[in-house]
Amino acid sequence: MPHFLPQTLSVPVRTIALAGNPNAGKTSLFNALTGLRQKVANYAGVTVDKKTGPARTPAGPITVIDLPGTYSLEPVSPDERVAAEVLRGQRTDTPAPDVIIAVIDASNLARNLLLFTQLADLHRPLIVALTMPDVATSLGRPVDPAALARDLGVPVVPVVSYRGQGVSELLSAIDRAGIPAQPWSSVAQTPVAADTADAADPVLADIAGRYQWIDRVVEHCVQPGGVSSASVTDRVDAVLMHPVFGLGIFAAIMTGLFLTIFIVADPLMSGCENAVAWLGALATSGLSEGLFKDLIERGVFGGVGSVVVFAPQIALLFILLGLLEDSGYLARAAFLMDRLLSRVGLHGKSFIPLLSSFACAIPGIMSARSIQSPRDRLATILVAPFMSCSARLPVYLLLVGTFFGHWSQWGRGGLMLGLYVLGIAAAAAIAWLFSRTRAAGPSAPFILELPRYQWPKPGNVGLQAWQYTRAFLVRAGTIIFALSILLWAAATFPRPTEAETAARTAAFEQAWTPPAPQPAAAEPAAGKAEPPPSPETIKATALEQHLAGEALAHSAAGRFGHLVEPLIAPLGFDWKMGVGLVGAFAAREVFVATMGIVYRVGDSEDDTAPLSDAMTQDRRPDGSPTWTPLVALSMLVWFVLAMQCISTTAVVRRETGGWTWPLIQLVSMNLIAYAACLVIYQGGRALGF
Amino acid sequence: MTTLDVLPLGSSARVTAVGGEPGVRRRLLEMGLVPGTTITALRRAPLGDPLELSVRGYLLSLRIEQAKLVSVE
Repeated sequence: MPHFLPQTLSVPVRTIALAGNPNAGKTSLFNALTGLRQKVANYAGVTVDKKTGPARTPAGPITVIDLPGTYSLEPVSPDERVAAEVLRGQRTDTPAPDVIIAVIDASNLARNLLLFTQLADLHRPLIVALTMPDVATSLGRPVDPAALARDLGVPVVPVVSYRGQGVSELLSAIDRAGIPAQPWSSVAQTPVAADTADAADPVLADIAGRYQWIDRVVEHCVQPGGVSSASVTDRVDAVLMHPVFGLGIFAAIMTGLFLTIFIVADPLMSGCENAVAWLGALATSGLSEGLFKDLIERGVFGGVGSVVVFAPQIALLFILLGLLEDSGYLARAAFLMDRLLSRVGLHGKSFIPLLSSFACAIPGIMSARSIQSPRDRLATILVAPFMSCSARLPVYLLLVGTFFGHWSQWGRGGLMLGLYVLGIAAAAAIAWLFSRTRAAGPSAPFILELPRYQWPKPGNVGLQAWQYTRAFLVRAGTIIFALSILLWAAATFPRPTEAETAARTAAFEQAWTPPAPQPAAAEPAAGKAEPPPSPETIKATALEQHLAGEALAHSAAGRFGHLVEPLIAPLGFDWKMGVGLVGAFAAREVFVATMGIVYRVGDSEDDTAPLSDAMTQDRRPDGSPTWTPLVALSMLVWFVLAMQCISTTAVVRRETGGWTWPLIQLVSMNLIAYAACLVIYQGGRALGF
Repeated sequence: MTTLDVLPLGSSARVTAVGGEPGVRRRLLEMGLVPGTTITALRRAPLGDPLELSVRGYLLSLRIEQAKLVSVE
């Protein structure tokens, strides 16, 4: 008669915690127990997700905590440390669980049981959820739950989470949770093998003792024969990790991932932006023209727009990452790329965050959460913004098209490629340097389980993508929103007085010369084309653009441009470019629109031909052209290397849990960019360009 | 007597000892690499490092740097 059966817990159970190895099916079980009623918060002081949710046992409602996956209660990473601390009742922000559910993978019993032995050491009520019993059976190695329960000394409930099997049985069994005896402790005290373990090596004696006991349990509870999960997975890996096919498949998968977040996300992002702009126009339609309307329309709705625009990319990336992770491929991607990245002090798992950063650093930096070692994760976050994101592309296209338009197609293509390569090279160099500093901490070992391949569960994937997107909108979104309003204010205040505007309008009227009328013969299909705008319309538009430019020059942002001109002049930049750079902090592509306003050609991002003309024709006070190819090159390099995206800074703050690293990143990237542009511009001048 | 990083691919060996800095050593032991355990070297990553191993019925990947810490026979 198993000794635990008559036991029932004397105290009511309020909190249970799920503890288990990574890949043991813990999150699936959590989803099955709590459904969609989950809460994701942060453990205090660390960027580890705290997932809780309600469930109902026959005895009443309880709270379920899904702990981070851990191989051991001797933690090697922040998330493992949190799991160990919660289980030991050492955290002030989380009560010690009344019952611990050990989530044990039936298809990988031996290693999963090591954590069980450590959980048993806590002397707290324990119950085992035996996951993937169906997989163990299909491998021909079914596990006998009754035998396992007798050996472990606690109830064992087989569960197939995604089918909901065993979930209610598990909840009913919680009251029968037992405190197991520790039969391995006697094993651990006897010498394992005289030649390998001695009394002076308690760690080895302890772990080897546990595994000796585990080996006996496995022998007793698992039907012999069949095939191991490893041998089945190995056959798939023979293809997927093949030196030729493996890399080919990897390249195809990563190209697909990149194209999805780069191209598929694009219309969704414009859709989000347009929807918010439309709502903004709707909300302000009743308001009269003026400051308040501008605040609501451009400040508030513009700010909201600049937050939600990232949502499609984040959601798509995390759906794809969820599929890769759930299927078991994510660990393989790290396995394939580790050599390349470890050379510069990064980790195989840095690959996907860096690749994603070519679309946008924000989802990229968020996806660095899959990297367990704090040092590798921080290094990845710090260098991710060096990857040329999609927001730089309009700037690259404008500058390359305007000032290198006379180059051949190959030359221009090569220049564009060079910009991307420059970003990668800078990231590699900084990551390498960072890994050699003390701030980086000790180098983390690479000990990575390559989990069994399986079909992804859409429910788990969708839920995780939703949680990440929501976390971004709520936590990073608020900072981005506030900073967007601040930037709007900087570009709006102080405003020109009525008298100043009147004086400028008068000066404009006086200087206005109507453009030469277009020759009618130039448009053979005149019948279909739009009628040319009337001279009055042209003049009104020009006046509006002129006043917008004057107002921007008058604003704090415009004055800031003048203020920093002495600082940026050695890079070849004048105050107008300074204003553009301020605008670029909202989002890099805003540089194009801001330059359009500064050059009084309107803020169209679709037709940049007038802006190109204005930039080429602009002159410095001494009559020399403001923009030369050298200045444009300097500006391009600035955009590759400089950290000028407040949204990224907000996300880095959130992901590193403080302002220290985002500020270090902001300052050092801009210093690097400054130095590089200084060398290019001054060097180029010295060489006579 | 040799170390895991030079174990010929496709062959199996028994773990005899695990070295290294205490934290790394403990984790390697906890992952199941205790003396007496049979371990099979399956393949190297296409770029030469890390290694893919089979141990206790599951697949584990170690960098050569960590594999050097595991003595086998």
